[in-house]
Amino acid sequence: MPIIEMPDLIQNGLARSVELMAVAAHNSFRFNDRNTIRMRAIDGDDLEQIAEYCFSLGDMSPLAARDGRHLVQLMKEPCSLLLIGDKRKSDFNYNCGACGYRTCAEMNAAEEVESLTANGPSCMFKNINMNIAANAAASMAHRLGLHCRIFSTLGFSALALEIIEDVDLCVSISVSVAKKNPYFDRHEFWTKEHWEETFDKEFPPFNRGFIGAVED
Amino acid sequence: MERSMKQYETDRREAARIAARLMLASGTTSPRVGGVGECTIHILDDECDIEDLCQEMERMANIKKSWQFFKRDAAMLRDADAILLSTSLRSLTDPADINCNMCGKLVCEYLKEEEKLPAEPDVAFTGCLCIFRANNIAYAIDGMVSQARNLGIDHGVYWSAGAAAMRMGILPRDTGFALAVAISITEKSPFRDIPQRYAEINQRTMNDRMINRLWPQFRSIYS
Repeated sequence: MPIIEMPDLIQNGLARSVELMAVAAHNSFRFNDRNTIRMRAIDGDDLEQIAEYCFSLGDMSPLAARDGRHLVQLMKEPCSLLLIGDKRKSDFNYNCGACGYRTCAEMNAAEEVESLTANGPSCMFKNINMNIAANAAASMAHRLGLHCRIFSTLGFSALALEIIEDVDLCVSISVSVAKKNPYFDRHEFWTKEHWEETFDKEFPPFNRGFIGAVED
Repeated sequence: MERSMKQYETDRREAARIAARLMLASGTTSPRVGGVGECTIHILDDECDIEDLCQEMERMANIKKSWQFFKRDAAMLRDADAILLSTSLRSLTDPADINCNMCGKLVCEYLKEEEKLPAEPDVAFTGCLCIFRANNIAYAIDGMVSQARNLGIDHGVYWSAGAAAMRMGILPRDTGFALAVAISITEKSPFRDIPQRYAEINQRTMNDRMINRLWPQFRSIYS
């Protein structure tokens, strides 16, 4: 029997786990019993471009910057990112009104609005199907004992960088086999100066003396 | 013999009640975008409440051709032991402010200015909703479904029941979008292998028809 070293065990196990997650997402519940999602997994150095892109959005979105910075840390240990995307147009004919149009035909005929994050308007049930698939993948990761978190920011970045093609919506499931759960309680990123600067910018009323008085 | 059959029947119902609450727990702890609370889950496990919901679904089925299948859903849900309704409380009134453009309005400020669809009979959900917020419902639904699978309980997901519950006004006032998971603890799942024309021909209507035909003759002959 050949001897397999621990790094190989971990790396191969992670690759297999992502495959199983993809299977769970592929077979998850969906409205209309129609499977239209597209999936793609990325790991290793290919994640770097997503991290850079996210970090570069810092001025517009502190959330994306935080996730980009976090991804750089995450890549130091084996990790993988499963992207799940879907088209935006409705093929359900439910005519439910959730998208703001009375009928699916009106929504499908509406002018497409493109942006870096997603193309709209999109069908609510397409979104629900895609996110149920995402949660099914996360649920499988949980059962396999992987650290896992769903990131919409990384999904948006993958869409903007065209890492996943021919989709209008995208969400991502990040998994990791780090020794400590890297996804929650990420206090190590907050130096005191950085915390104060961001907090003052995002929540100005908190430290204000009394209502309306701002001294320059 | 009689007593033990009756015990089985009450235990079966009790199991459905407990399972519904465990599914609520799993649905509640599933992921939320931004980690902000948004979904509530409501359990209907009284058969009269379920019947009310099914009747509302049947009323809605007559409004539009594309909602005809609500009748079939109602026939299936009458056999459910419990229904879990998951709501989205922020999608109508409180867009996520991350400018994701899933709704097609480019930024959240434009979505807030946009006029909503009027609450007319042929509108199930008064869009345009914040889709990023409403995606939380998908996580809640799959949390419940995966718990049902762990427990080995038959389940089905229906948007017709969610829309009907909103129309009945039994969900919180801010609800913008709602979906339902029905569970059943029976030997044959009432949510699978559904024949054609199930709304007209199901176990109930067939029983009614047989008994209505046979009973008067039996009564008159054997009296």
